[in-house]
Amino acid sequence: MSAAAAIHSFIVEELLPGRGIEEIDHDDDLLALGVIDSHGIVELVVFLEKRFGLPVADEDLTPENFASIASIERFVRSKSDAGASLGS
Amino acid sequence: MLFDLVYAVAEDHPDEIAVVHRDERITYRDLVERVERLAAGLADRGLKAGDPVALLLPNAPEFVVAFYAITGMGAAIVPLDPQLKHDELDFRLRQSRVRGIISDDRAVGVCERIVAGWEDPVEIITTSTAHGHGTTIASLIEGGESRRLPARSPDEVFVYQFSSGSTGRPKRVARTHGNVRAEARTYPTVLGTVVGDGVFCVTPLFHDYGMTCSLLASTPAGAKLVLLEDPNPFLLKRHRAIELIEQERPTIFPGVPFTFRLLAEAPRDADMSSLRWCFSAGTALPQGVFDAFVERFGVPVRQLYGSTETGTLAANLDADPISTFASVGRPIGDVEVKVVDDDGEPVATGTVGELVVASPALTSGYLDQPDLTAAAFHDGWYSTGDLGRLDEEGRVYITGRKKLLIPVGGYKVDPIEVEDVLNTHPAIAEAIVVGVPGAHAGEEIVKAAVVSTDTCDQRDVIRYAQERLANYKVPQIVEFRDEIPKSPTGKILRQYLL
Repeated sequence: MSAAAAIHSFIVEELLPGRGIEEIDHDDDLLALGVIDSHGIVELVVFLEKRFGLPVADEDLTPENFASIASIERFVRSKSDAGASLGS
Repeated sequence: MLFDLVYAVAEDHPDEIAVVHRDERITYRDLVERVERLAAGLADRGLKAGDPVALLLPNAPEFVVAFYAITGMGAAIVPLDPQLKHDELDFRLRQSRVRGIISDDRAVGVCERIVAGWEDPVEIITTSTAHGHGTTIASLIEGGESRRLPARSPDEVFVYQFSSGSTGRPKRVARTHGNVRAEARTYPTVLGTVVGDGVFCVTPLFHDYGMTCSLLASTPAGAKLVLLEDPNPFLLKRHRAIELIEQERPTIFPGVPFTFRLLAEAPRDADMSSLRWCFSAGTALPQGVFDAFVERFGVPVRQLYGSTETGTLAANLDADPISTFASVGRPIGDVEVKVVDDDGEPVATGTVGELVVASPALTSGYLDQPDLTAAAFHDGWYSTGDLGRLDEEGRVYITGRKKLLIPVGGYKVDPIEVEDVLNTHPAIAEAIVVGVPGAHAGEEIVKAAVVSTDTCDQRDVIRYAQERLANYKVPQIVEFRDEIPKSPTGKILRQYLL
């Protein structure tokens, strides 16, 4: 599964339930939609660290990195350049 | 009435900034005009004094304008969390018998579905026409006539709020114009708030803490209200929060331990020298957070105490709060606090007991709940359910609580409300919800202990809760048990579930 697909799958399965949102596109604003809230960001960071084996530092915690599936994927790719695996 | 205080500021300082949000800076003159126009627009839509009007908006100028327009025209505001799920909203809208709803795009759909079958039509106003809704706040402001709002009686209902409790569903509380005005005068007075001060707002304005300690603490006193846009999740917004503090130089900052901890751990330094008062409420401020914030920024975080029923009760205003950081301070204004034993008798100074309070801002009771009102309200005094003590100088120290509330990220979760939901799951025979220590001092995690009658796993339980409860109430841990531990008399032994 690609990084984008894995991130999409995690968000749809773990963060969307109960929000009245059926589907989410890669460029949808996850913060404006309330998909990522205080709890969601913690779950997402834990997922990224486990799934992709990359450390998420304090400096990485910005709206730009987590605004959409596309931006999360870009963030994961940029971190992977430092040695983490993205899977296939 | 409350808006008279805003009128007074606007007449003396019309060009002072009242609200800051993103690139928008609203003067007191503009604020008054928008409020008057919106109030006229709401009246044109058939809303009138006494009508309950729900408000489901994020922290933005529209919230402030709608707040004053609704209450200024004599309608009763019902501020609600836009994160609430269908059943939670349904309960609150029905309980309040709302006649109008002002909502952003996110919540308007579910609100429409809820009121679709009601006998009495509900006027729905939203923030944009993006989803085909005709009446917006902007269109009402544009079409409304600016005319001075009349004074309101102190006995008129200002706000309906929902309080967490120890028994089942949230309880509805009414506070009058007299209650709210008393608080809006007392709190800024004890802080010495003047025109030119600024209140930095990161807490939701629909919550009583944000409403009283940010909104009512700023605009009625001539201070500017600096709104952090979309503060949730704060973890992603602390850079912006620091930027705003440095740019706008607010003097008063009400937050919760969680926000102060995240700021103290921020990767960049910040100039917070403008802050004269930092207040923490919601749950006890851990010493580690107090120490880290004062060491990082040179500003002490003081504790503050209040509730939905009472408004702000006490604040630590000590000249040197280092040695008294654990205290929520002395009662403010005409608030009285006493400590009583199980028989309701006052205890000796320094002895722990239940805190009971009297205040001009105190509600008269729980609506439609005479038994619960009789249990908590006696001769003008309210039993808070909090345990604490007073020191020789009258400072209040909170030591625990009688009620079973779980502090989560600045919110208080009523375990009974969560249990009520879980117990409707077809495969759950019994569910008990407790708070267990989180990763940081003072923060807890919601845990459910479950006896199941059929196949279900943690994921099923969490998803079921997610569909019915605001996310901060959803259990993060689900523990399956053969039985719930109980005493011989059937009392649930929650201590064995921690």
